[in-house]
Parts: sequence; structure tokens; C-alpha cells
Amino acid sequence: MIQIIFNGFVTGIVITLPALAITLLFGVLKFPNFAVGAMLTLAAYIVFTLNVLFELNLFISTIIAAIFFGFFLIVIDQITFAKLRVSGSNSITLMVCSLGLGFVLENIARLIYGNNAKSFAIELARPFFFLDIRMNREQMITIIVSTLAMVFMYVLLKHMSIGRAMRAVSDNTSLSLVRGIDSPLIIRWTWFISGVLLTIGGVLIGMDRAIEPPMGSSYLIAIFAAAILGGLGSPLGAFVGSLVIGIVSELSTLVIPPNYRIGIPLAVIALILIFRPQGIFGKPNIKK
Amino acid sequence: MKPFFVSSDLRAGYGAGDILKGISFEIEQGKVMTVIGPNGSGKSTLIKTLAGLLKPSGGEIFINEEPISSYTAPQRIKLGMSYVPQEYNVFRNMTVKENLQLANEFMGRSKKKKTKIIDDDLLELFPEIPAKFDTLAGNLSGGQRQMVAFACALAYKPEILLLDEPSAGLSPKYMGDIFEAVKKVNKLGVTIFMVEQNAIEALQISDNCIVMANGKIKFVSDAKTLSESSDLHSLYLGDS
Amino acid sequence: MLSFIVLMSLVICFSAILALALNFQWGLGGMINFGLAGLYALGAYACAIFILKLNMGFLSSTLLAMLIVSLVCALISIVTLRVSEEDYFAIVTLGVGEMLRLVVLNEDWLTGGALGLSGIPRPFSSIIPSDIYIYFFLAAYVFVLFFCIFLINILARSAFGRTMRAIREDDVVAATLGKNLLWARARIFAIGGLLIGLAGSMHAFYYQYIDPTQFSNIVVAYAIMAVIAGGKGSNFGVVIGSILIMLLLEGSRFLKEIIPGLGSDQLSAVRIIIIGVGLILVLIYKPNGFMKEYRLSVQ
Repeated sequence: MIQIIFNGFVTGIVITLPALAITLLFGVLKFPNFAVGAMLTLAAYIVFTLNVLFELNLFISTIIAAIFFGFFLIVIDQITFAKLRVSGSNSITLMVCSLGLGFVLENIARLIYGNNAKSFAIELARPFFFLDIRMNREQMITIIVSTLAMVFMYVLLKHMSIGRAMRAVSDNTSLSLVRGIDSPLIIRWTWFISGVLLTIGGVLIGMDRAIEPPMGSSYLIAIFAAAILGGLGSPLGAFVGSLVIGIVSELSTLVIPPNYRIGIPLAVIALILIFRPQGIFGKPNIKK
Repeated sequence: MKPFFVSSDLRAGYGAGDILKGISFEIEQGKVMTVIGPNGSGKSTLIKTLAGLLKPSGGEIFINEEPISSYTAPQRIKLGMSYVPQEYNVFRNMTVKENLQLANEFMGRSKKKKTKIIDDDLLELFPEIPAKFDTLAGNLSGGQRQMVAFACALAYKPEILLLDEPSAGLSPKYMGDIFEAVKKVNKLGVTIFMVEQNAIEALQISDNCIVMANGKIKFVSDAKTLSESSDLHSLYLGDS
Repeated sequence: MLSFIVLMSLVICFSAILALALNFQWGLGGMINFGLAGLYALGAYACAIFILKLNMGFLSSTLLAMLIVSLVCALISIVTLRVSEEDYFAIVTLGVGEMLRLVVLNEDWLTGGALGLSGIPRPFSSIIPSDIYIYFFLAAYVFVLFFCIFLINILARSAFGRTMRAIREDDVVAATLGKNLLWARARIFAIGGLLIGLAGSMHAFYYQYIDPTQFSNIVVAYAIMAVIAGGKGSNFGVVIGSILIMLLLEGSRFLKEIIPGLGSDQLSAVRIIIIGVGLILVLIYKPNGFMKEYRLSVQ
């Protein structure tokens, strides 16, 4: 039983960073981004290229890829969502655009790398036992990296000027303008940070399972569920929500066939929407 | 002496047709200008256009003869403009302290940033604020929020302060406090541009007044003459 | 050449009905259905299963399939009843669509899993002589398409439709109507579901063989593009849009000639990229004011 909870904890912590990216993007851009799954996939493939084809160490590959992907997302935003923001588009337009973008990114990956599963070049390590719980090295890395990233994000958002500015833009975009905050700059920063988070997230997922084109998209509903459960726009919520989704999903395999695990995040979304639409930490949304 | 703040044939709207139909006025440095008029006269649209939240469709705005209508709101702040919106004028999900920190961090006009969260001049104007530092701005009362909004706008002494209905929805106590604060700020040399519903109180502290209706300026007058005029009420209802 | 046009026309007929369903749910009800592909699959598989495994007639299979999809749509709508935000609705529909496709993939005993179901007979194919059957088939499909448009127009013009359009014009009215609005939207979504089920059944009869790959998520991109390309949300516009999108799709098949050396996987990836880019471009450069004025319009 403890083993299942531990596995669920790891499953949850894997989606913590993408859930945080979704919640940051939602806060600043005001719409749920359906391309995030494909972005995870593409980022993982970029790391794969550096790691396997250029034979760089996985850690270095991730750092290089993360910086590249951060800039890449800024460019993507400039040629798609930014144009729609200028013409005053509503959130459905932006959602549809993100859906289309997801198709494009996922299939660029498919075009370049094909449909066969790939994996990172890391040494095999034997699982070990700690307090009667079976763990492997990848899981430890995942836990440590995710936790460090979350702590860093917490410090960024709560104690750094850029983080305050991001929260301000999320809270009230027009007020932030008249308080001297350059909203377009903050948006670019948010994309960059999301790019880094998604790259790390993509690598953690890729360590856990095979890298293939539909990889990221298969997590999309779980990521949304985590962010919605925690409250869209609340970073702490993304963290808590992810862990809950992870643990509940693992526990559900006791009663539901593993293939239908996606049903759990979906059911969670449904329950949240019925009983508490703003999630655990969210505020009821005032759409201006 | 060249006027400090000038609006020249300003036009603006939200899409189908202009709400502002050619607004022109001048304000001398250090003066208090109040705009009054019935609902729908375009007062709110005017102040949003001046602040940089709405792009004008025609006309120009000048600060010290520099045309600013193509500048973004943050750019206007760098020129010394500051704006307090009517509602949603604090970041509700952030604490009072964080609201002030943000203003300190982003509204500065020179490289020098403030060291204290709220410096002594502001403390004198808004002594109740430090007690609420760790309260979420959204949990404050209307009057307290207004004080915080003010303090943020004054983080760096602006050249001109735009106020959108500062007394709206406030209890008489807070209303008095706010107009007191406006007067004190003006005494420090800040030019004030104020849109107000509470015409009588506003005129007490104003130098000049504009009456608007239907997107145009009905007339301009100095505040003293206007407040003494018995026609104030009919004016206010937009009859003339 | 003639047979090519006939076949294209058949595909356009049920693709247009699918786009009409999206147009109805989105234009009148303001609900964007990202689960379109999964619901479409549900309609097709339900119809095929009734015919192949339960030996039901084609009419009853189709009607039952329509009903099932409609019920699922009603369920989705009720779950999101409390939330009027489009964002959450889109996420839920996406999730449901994914669930449905998972069921199709995993329940081999019912759906044939990845292999799908084959040997679906076409309506009346045993009665009508095979050399003229295709023309009968085409006539039937075109008739069904126009009948759907006719019914949708009647519905849109009815008191119900007028109320919904008035609500779309004025958000304040919508807010004050509260619960009634939400139930009305549930009905709209359910009616849209009937159309999706119909399109799915027609898909099954046309191809006579269905498998999961025919129902990938890109289907919703086609439908959205058809609606936008047709402009202004009018039903005939949607049909025109469907024709345009079909031409785009068929045209992209010729990529194989232009770009040699592309494997079939890569070819389909390129086609999807083209559709995705096309969707984004249409959104950015759309007919002026499309989104702001987008309502279901009535001829």
C-alpha cells in the first residue's frame, strides 16, 4: 500500500512542473493552453537529440535545451498568440489556436523523429529499497529535481521582483500597466520560464517511459486536472493538485484497469466543476 | 508660461464610433483640474485615454509640449504621470506590502530605487497603512483600498496625478480623508486631474473645472465661480 | 473523374453534418466541443456495432447511435452546468473525447481495438442494383444533409432559437437568466450530439470499415476550419467551408508526388502540420470581426 502511495507521489511530482507552467500561462494569458502536451514532447525530443545524437550528458543537454526552448516559446508566442492578443481575441480563439499549435508541434516531432519509441542515454541502475519501499534512481532524480524546481519557483514568485510582476499581471493586467509594469515583457518572461519548466518536465517524463510523439499529449488531461484541482492560477495549487492526482490515479489501479487511468483526472475535473469550480486555492474568477 | 498638460482635440472610443468627440483643454503646472458631468458623458473614457489604457482615434496629448498619445501607459509613468483607476485599483491577491513593493520597483523614473517600503511623506498622508502590511489587498474595506491605491500611485512623486472618481463608494469619513490627501499632495507640487461625481466636494479643492456632456466639453470655468453659481445642479444634470 | 466527384461529395455530406453540429453547439450555444473526434467515433462505432453484432436494421442502428451520442453530450453539459466558462468546458470535452477513444482502443471484444470493425453494409445495398447504387447513396446523403440544414433552421427560427440568440447578443440578460440558460445550453449540446451521431453513422456506412485512426483529434480542426472558412456561421456557409477544407485535404494527398521519399507516417504528419498551420492562419487572418460577430445565423 505504501508502495502504491509512493508511486503515486512520484507520478504526481512528475506532472508538477507542467501543471505549474499551465497555471502560470493561464494566470498571465487568461486561457488554458492545449499545446502544452506537445510542448513537453518536443522539448523531450530536443534533449534527446543533444543527449543521444550529440552524446552530451543528460544534465547538460537539459540545461541547453531548456534555455533554447524558453526562447523558442517566446518566438512561437510572437507569431501566434501575440497576434491574436493584439486583435483582441477572446479565450475560445486562443484555445483553438493552442489546439492547432499542439497538432503542429507534435507532428513536427513525428516528422523529424518518426513514430518509433526512443529513450535517453542514461546508465541503467538497479532499483533499491528504502524503508521497504522499492525505488529506482530515476524516481529519486525526479523527486529531487522537481522539488528543487518548485522551491526555486516559490522563491521567484514570492520574493523576486519579476515574480511579483508576474503575479500582478495575472491579478489585473490593466492595473499592472499603470503601475509601470511592461506587460509584454512579463509575458515573454512567463513563456521563457514555462519553456524551462516544460523542458525539465519533458525530461522527467522521458526518463520514466518511452519518448514518442503522443507522449506529452497523453498527460494533458492529468496536467489540466492537477492545475484545476489546485486552482487555475495558483502555483501552490499546481503542486498540491499534482500530488493528489498522482496518488489517486495510482490508488485507482487497484479497482480500475490501468488503461483507463485517464478517467481519474477526468472524474476529478468533473467533481471539482460541480462542487468547487475555483479549485482548492483558486479565487472565483472575475473576468473583466 | 506654457501650459504643462494639454489635450488637443482628443477623440477616442471602444469600437463603433467615438465616445470622446474632440476634447481640448490645458492645465497649468501645480493646478487642480476637475471634470464633472453626468453618467455617459465620457469622463471615464477621457481619463483612460489620458492614462494610456485606450488608444485615441484622433487628437494629441502633451506633457511639457511632448506628444504622448503614442506612448504606452508604463512609458507615460516614466514621464511623470500616475493614475489611480476607479475600481480594481489594487492587486487583490497580493498583500498591501507587496502592492507597495511593486510600485517601488516599477514606477521609478531614475535608476535610484526606494529602500523603504513606504517613506515618511506617504506615511504622514496614510498612517493606517503599515498596520495592514500583511493583509491581502482584496480583504480591505473600500476606503482602505483607496488609501493603498493612492499610496502606490504616489510611490515616486509624480508630475501629474490622474484620479478617476476617488471618492466613489466611500463613506463620508473616507471621502473627506481622500480629498484632504489630494489637497496635501497638490501642495507638494503635483498637478492633479480628477474626474468626479461628487462635484461640490471636489470643487472645494479644485482650481479649475470642466463640465462634460455627450463626449464634448460643455464649458470650462474656474472652480470658485462654478461652485458659487446656483446653476450647479442643473449643470450637473446636463441640462445646459 | 465522375466517380471521384461522387465519392468526394459523399464525404463532404457527412463531414458537413459534423461541421454543422459544431456550428450549432458553438454558434448557438457558445460551447466549443474539443471532444468532437471522440463523439464522432462513438457514433460510428455504436452504429457499426448495432448492425454487425446485434443485427439491427440500418435505420434503427443510426437512430440509436444518434441517441447515445446525444445522451453523452447531455451528460457533459450537466456536469459543467455550474461553470459557464468556456475554458473548463473545452477541457472537459477534450477529456471525454480522449476517454471515448481509449474505450474504442481497449475494448477489443466490442470494437475490434486497433483493428477496427469491417464489413459494414450500406443501407439497401442488397435491394438496389449495384451499378446504380452509388447514385442512390449520393442522393440519400445529399437529402439527409439538406434535411438537417432545414431542421436546424427551423429550430434556430423557433422561440427557443430566438431566445438563445437574444441571449448571445446580451451578456447581462444571460447572467440574469442563470439556470434556465444553462438548461437551454444542455439541450443545444444534446441536439448537436444527435447530428454528431448521424455524421458518425454516415461515416461508417460510407467507408464500410472503421478503425481508431480515422478519428484522431485533427477532426475537430477540420470542423472548426470549415465553420470559419464558411464565414459568419451560416449553415450554408458551413457547407461551403466543408467543401473548401475537403479540397485542401485532397490536395494535400498529392504531396506524395511533390516531395519524394516521404514515408507514409511522415506524409500524414506533414498533412496534419498543414491543417494545424492552416487553422492558426485562419484564426489570425480570419474574415474581419468573425469571432466577435460569430453567431448561428439564419437564412
